[in-house]
Amino acid sequence: MTRLYTESLNIGYGERHIVKNLSVKIPDKKITTIIGPNGCGKSTLLKAITRIISQQSGTVVLDGKDISKVNTKLLAKKMAILPQTPESASGLTVGELVSYGRFPYQSGFGRLTKKDYEVIEWALDVTGTADFKFHPVDALSGGQRQRVWIAMALAQETDIIFLDEPTTYLDMAHQLEVLELLQKLNKEQERTIIMVLHDLNQAARFADYIIALKDGEVVKAGTCEEVITRDVLRKVFQIDAEIGRDPRTNKPMCITYNLIKGDYKHEKTAVPVYSAVSVNY
Amino acid sequence: MIQPALIRKQRIILLILMFLIAFTGIIGLGMGSAALSYDRLLPTILGQGTFKEEFVLFSIRLPRMIITLLAGMALALSGSILQGITRNDLAEPGIIGINSGAGVAITVFFLYFPIEVGSFVYVLPLVAFLGALVTALLIYLFSYKRKSGLQPVNLVLTGIGFSFAFSGAMIVLISSAERQKVDFIAKWLAGNIWGTDWPFIWAILPWLVVLIPFTLYKANRLNLLSLSEPVAIGVGVSLEKERLTLMLTAIALAASAVSVTGEIAFIGLLAPHIAKALVGPRHQLSIPIALLLGGFLLLLADTIGRNAVDPEGIPAGIMVALIGAPYFIYLLMKK
Repeated sequence: MTRLYTESLNIGYGERHIVKNLSVKIPDKKITTIIGPNGCGKSTLLKAITRIISQQSGTVVLDGKDISKVNTKLLAKKMAILPQTPESASGLTVGELVSYGRFPYQSGFGRLTKKDYEVIEWALDVTGTADFKFHPVDALSGGQRQRVWIAMALAQETDIIFLDEPTTYLDMAHQLEVLELLQKLNKEQERTIIMVLHDLNQAARFADYIIALKDGEVVKAGTCEEVITRDVLRKVFQIDAEIGRDPRTNKPMCITYNLIKGDYKHEKTAVPVYSAVSVNY
Repeated sequence: MIQPALIRKQRIILLILMFLIAFTGIIGLGMGSAALSYDRLLPTILGQGTFKEEFVLFSIRLPRMIITLLAGMALALSGSILQGITRNDLAEPGIIGINSGAGVAITVFFLYFPIEVGSFVYVLPLVAFLGALVTALLIYLFSYKRKSGLQPVNLVLTGIGFSFAFSGAMIVLISSAERQKVDFIAKWLAGNIWGTDWPFIWAILPWLVVLIPFTLYKANRLNLLSLSEPVAIGVGVSLEKERLTLMLTAIALAASAVSVTGEIAFIGLLAPHIAKALVGPRHQLSIPIALLLGGFLLLLADTIGRNAVDPEGIPAGIMVALIGAPYFIYLLMKK
């Protein structure tokens, strides 16, 4: 039984259809990764599933209920989202930012209870950010800051966590650090993790389930053995990939690739994404 | 999760502001064209003054000061809310058309509706309030998109557009009016505190009594809204609903202030901004500071303004602008 799935989801802006008739099931207690070329609608899909944007038609179902009909605060106790490169929380301390994750559990003037403090401490510990508790978020490095945002999502105490490109702007070591943290959360606490990743090999290494999107449609969804194949990658990215095995993890990996001549077109045409519409000026 | 040191700092700032307000208040009570010396202040308050002294104190100076204080607070609170929901440090009540809307309403009403002298002063705030409200709602309607809801950017742009259009309309209206009437309108536009009687206090006080606790209650949501939209949605803030209620709160506050004080710019920009600079983007801490600071600034501006030039004084709005403009330039330079 899957708790979370979408039913013929259509998402678009005006005449532009970004996600078309998309039905996917998100396996429980697994790490799911969404991959695809720029502008394929992977971030858009993530935003629609987490009710940050609304769809034109179709439904997102969580625990048997259409999420658009569920109280948003109630949803926030079931799923947390780490948006793509969240704005810098200028002026806030790490502890404060993480405490914002307790919002769904607060009532009235929002005083933190003992339980809230316990959860915040735990989230800081798990993400290795407890030492910075009283530091301003601005003063942290990119990797530390990303872990703080993850801590905030963890403070929400949800079974499901969404992350939109959690490794962007991080160096290789910090990318791995973040992904290993997520893997640990998944293995030790059985949290369902859904994330958008750009790096195919990272997706293959960490994901139990991969959804490959192209032009707003699912090309292939399945285990990494099923998705990271020459055929799928050719369809999704228009690349001719050489697939091998990671000698350490034994997962499939793309060793090298070429563009398929003549077939390649610039996918990065101007697609208005939500963040551009709500530009903060 | 706020550090105790910061809370202590906020308490100290609040105390300093309260002291400044009290100090300015006492100085102000003894100043003015009518004679009421400082040594007669206490006896008069205790009921031992002459009729003239009592009249000056209780019917002229005290109500004016209370009005000024309350209006400053209302503007500051309105600005705090607007800066929070638009995530824009330059937002202030003027951008949601409060000033221009009230201005046009006052102008039209003043020029074209015959009014009895007696009821005049009490009808005017009502007219200003309605004008402000209607304009704010129009701006809201025009910036609301069915697809994306209320985007703060649209709100700001539409608001600025409306402000310009209404200012233009006002000039057209005024240019064909009689000299005497123009004088009154010009003074109103300059932010001359003119609702200086007890009934005006009862007109503005209830808004503050209800809306200050309400806004503090919403402080957490304001923190989240001013942080990031997706993050706010993610933790379960219902964006549209909160924005609408907070917008209406800001409108009501600013309209109630403008209706008795005329156009006062800058307080709604200055007070919340300084408050946030002092204690960071934490509305539960910054709002009380902004409130007192807004009240203090307007009180100070009016106290100086009404005593600076005889006999009419300088309108508080202009005094505030004299203080506000340099700060505004400083803000822009810092960006």
